[in-house]
Amino acid sequence: MMLRYLVLGAALLAGLPAHAHEPKGSHGGRVGDAGGYHAELVVNDKSVEVFLIGEDDKPIDPKGFKGVAILNSGGKAERVTLAPSEKNALSGMAATVLPAQPKGAVQFTSPDGKTATARFD
Amino acid sequence: MFSHFGRALRALAAIAALCAATAPASAHEGHDHGEQPAVSAGVLPRGETDSNAFEIVAVVRGDHLEIHIDRFATNEPVKGAIVEVETPDGSVKATENADGTYRLPAPWVAKNDRADLIFTVTAGDATDILPMTIQTARAPAQSAVQANADQSEHIGRNSILLALGGLLTGVLLTAIALRGRRAAALVVILAAFTGIRDTYAHEGHDGHGHEEDKAQVAINIVSGERAQRLADGTVFVPKTVQRIFALRTLIAEQAKHKKITELPGRIIPDPNASGYVQSAVGGRLSAPPDGFPRLGTRVKQGDILGYVTPPIQAIDVSDMRQRQGELDQQISIVERRFARYEQLAPSGAISRTQLEDTRLELEGLRDRRASIERASRREPEALIAPVAGIIAEGSAVAGQIVQPSSVVFNIIDPARLWVEALSFESFEPSQGARASTYTGRNYDLIYRGTGFADRSQSVPMHFAVTGDTAGLRAGQFLTVLVATDETKEGLAVPRSSVVRGSNGQDFVYEHVTPERFVPRSVRTEPLDGDRVLIVSGIASGKRVVSQGADLLDHVR
Repeated sequence: MMLRYLVLGAALLAGLPAHAHEPKGSHGGRVGDAGGYHAELVVNDKSVEVFLIGEDDKPIDPKGFKGVAILNSGGKAERVTLAPSEKNALSGMAATVLPAQPKGAVQFTSPDGKTATARFD
Repeated sequence: MFSHFGRALRALAAIAALCAATAPASAHEGHDHGEQPAVSAGVLPRGETDSNAFEIVAVVRGDHLEIHIDRFATNEPVKGAIVEVETPDGSVKATENADGTYRLPAPWVAKNDRADLIFTVTAGDATDILPMTIQTARAPAQSAVQANADQSEHIGRNSILLALGGLLTGVLLTAIALRGRRAAALVVILAAFTGIRDTYAHEGHDGHGHEEDKAQVAINIVSGERAQRLADGTVFVPKTVQRIFALRTLIAEQAKHKKITELPGRIIPDPNASGYVQSAVGGRLSAPPDGFPRLGTRVKQGDILGYVTPPIQAIDVSDMRQRQGELDQQISIVERRFARYEQLAPSGAISRTQLEDTRLELEGLRDRRASIERASRREPEALIAPVAGIIAEGSAVAGQIVQPSSVVFNIIDPARLWVEALSFESFEPSQGARASTYTGRNYDLIYRGTGFADRSQSVPMHFAVTGDTAGLRAGQFLTVLVATDETKEGLAVPRSSVVRGSNGQDFVYEHVTPERFVPRSVRTEPLDGDRVLIVSGIASGKRVVSQGADLLDHVR
């Protein structure tokens, strides 16, 4: 975990795209590593959707999952509670319109109580 | 008999089970061991995270988290930030402690051995969102490393135990053959051996038998959170210790810098603001009414600093007496003549011209007599300060005889100092120059001029010290750094960043993760008074410790 941050930090410093090594999302969003998962973050105005992808690149049914996204919206942190939606994603609505690619982090809890966090820079 | 046999069989089964138990233990070891060398036990459970603005370390202290927030680039503690943490119990605000750390109640630490948190830090106009994972249970990577270290020992022990097992089986079989009562006793002995074996195996797993570990455990129990040098040379410095060390970093960027030439120099007084008080004549020193000025006394231009009274030689005295007598004689003759002429003049017996000549002659003689009178009581010469400044040198003593042209006082204006540097080539510095003393203080210089006459294969160059001259004294040696028009490429870091190892190599410490610093061997070249240029050894954009590197270097 530590090494990953180190690599991430080094990549940022070098001015390289931080998520160059990450797989491409199938919903046009950014993909972040979250423990044993990948999480794809799709932000559209106020709506926030997180698609969970397993290690085998197969989508995971978010049923039973819950989550929270904390996103940087113009210098202010916006906290969005996420719940499973019919689109096979964890989704929620922000209070304000979010930028297209907000920085932040998404944390979600799987049905077995384990948590994972994905970071989006 | 059957029961004996059954017992023996059971014992045999026990041995088999034990052999089986030890075998997987050695097979299981030696798997991948973590990403970084483990910090020894005793360090409190912690989590760390960073972004390009902040660096956060959270330490579990009982039922709360102690949070250290520092600037990513400079390692400066962030004070007055608003810190909100997304915990398993929802969003919680951390409170700031007086010492600049933040405190967050963490009742959930006890429940789970792993917690995912999201920190939202707002300091000034910067907001950053940083996720963090805190592992409260001992990380499996660490025990793996320890187990690895024990492996060789373990295997040796295992083979002995296996041999022992074989021996026991043999004994057991003999007992079965004998079918005697002694078999029961043997089984008891066997059981005892099994017990011993059990404890052996247990010890092997823990790894506490290892001497290094024992030492480390001992240190950690005593000191708790302490900086330590890890096996690969990385220095682990907990944030608490970083605060004490006041560690600061900077991001070293590759850039072009003007090449610097170092010249040996010496402080000289400004020739227009310093002066000697010299006696023009030899004579006896005497103090002015206020006494002689002592060292360090501030004097004004024109102040009288003393008097020199030239002595009169014996031959001069006799000479003067003789001349005095002659003059006295002449004066009395001319006086009489003048008196007589005065009586005769009205009658016309003596011309008016003669009377006038006699009067002038008499006046001239009296003047000469008076000047000899003065010369016999010679006026002392006043020693006058030629410039304003302080008395830098001089030890005048009343009654002391000074030689002509000897220096009685040296007056220097301490605010106006120059530097005389010796250069092998004569060049005109396009940029300014700096001077650096052995204590590490730096002074800005302005170029004044270069001599043309060779002095022991070099020419003197003169610079004036601008600004504050506190701490300098005339004659002091210093290094003059002159910027030339040539440029060099490299990373400029403060001189304090570079530490010299015991083997004479130069190192800088790179800040790799919030609590880890890695020494990097570098090659440096002088840049200016307080910076050096790293030519190779570390890449651009890395965080280099700029303050407290020497303290880091002493961590063992």
